[in-house]
Amino acid sequence: MNLRHRIKEVMASELMLEVSVDDIGDDTPLFGPNGIGLDSVDALQLVVTIEKHFKLKISDQDKAREILHNIESIAKAIEEAGLA
Amino acid sequence: MLGHATARYFLERDPECHIFLGVREKRELAEMVVADFAGRAFLCPLEITDAEAWTSALTMIETQSGPLNVLINNAGYHDDSLLATMSYSQWAGVLDSNLNAVFLGCQSVLKPMMQQRWGRIINVASLSALHSPAGQTNYAAAKAGVIGLTQSLAKECARLGITVNAICPGHIEGALPKSWSEEQIKAVKRETPMRRFARPEEISAVVFFLASRDASYMTGTSVKLDGALV
Repeated sequence: MNLRHRIKEVMASELMLEVSVDDIGDDTPLFGPNGIGLDSVDALQLVVTIEKHFKLKISDQDKAREILHNIESIAKAIEEAGLA
Repeated sequence: MLGHATARYFLERDPECHIFLGVREKRELAEMVVADFAGRAFLCPLEITDAEAWTSALTMIETQSGPLNVLINNAGYHDDSLLATMSYSQWAGVLDSNLNAVFLGCQSVLKPMMQQRWGRIINVASLSALHSPAGQTNYAAAKAGVIGLTQSLAKECARLGITVNAICPGHIEGALPKSWSEEQIKAVKRETPMRRFARPEEISAVVFFLASRDASYMTGTSVKLDGALV
C-alpha cells in the first residue's frame, strides 16, 4: 500500500473520521471549512498518530502547521526524514 | 496523607495495579506503603514544579512497569495569610505547587495516554475552591484554577479515551490544620451537617471510582466531598 493511502487510513481510523478514505484527496486541506474540517484537538491527535505509526516526531508548532497541511505534506515530511 | 491513603486503597483493591508515589524530602509515609506492598508500590523522586523531573519520572515508570494509566495530582500545600499581609512568595509558591504542577503533570502524561487511547487524570482540588475561606486567597485561587483546568482539559481529551476529573474534599480526619484548637475542631464539626469529617478512605473511594473503567462517561466534573458543608 502506498504511503499516502496508509496515512489516510491511519488518520481516518485513529481520528474516527466520518469520511471515506477515498474522499480524502492528497491535496485536500485537513483543516478549515474547505477541507476535511479537522480541529485543534484532531491536530494534536494527528501529531501523536504520525509519531506512533510513522515514527516522525513533530515537536515544533510552526513545523506542525506546515506538515499537517494535507496528506501530501505529511507524506513528504515522512519521506524526507527517511521513514517511508 | 491523602495520597498515601489513596495508594493503599488502590493496592488493597486492585491486585494488578502498580503505584508510583512521587516523593521529595518527606517520604516516611510513602516508604511505609512501599514496605507494605513490596513489588507493587514504588518511590518515584519527583519535584512537581520541575518539567524535567516529570519527564524523568515518567521514563522511570514506563521502564519499570509499562504504560501509565492513571495520574493522580494530589501534592500541594497551604501557606495561609490574609492577602493584605501575604508576601508575593507565599502567593507564587502556593500557585506553583498547587496549580502549575498540575499543568506539568497533565502535560507530561498526555502524549503517552493519547498513544494508548486510554487514561485517567484525577486532580485533587479542594472545597476551598468552591467555598473560599478568608486567609486562603492563594490556595483558593490555585484550587479554583485546578477546577478550570480540569474542565477545559476534559474537553480537549474527550475523544481520546482520556477522562479528566477533579475532587473537592472538605475537611479530612488526620489532615486538619495543625493550628486548629480543640474548640475550633468542634466548631467546624458542628457546622458540618454530617457532624464529622471525612475518613481518608471515603475520599480515596471516589478517586478509585474515577480511575476505573466504570467512570468512562464521567469527565470534566468536580466532585464535592464535604459532608454537605456547602
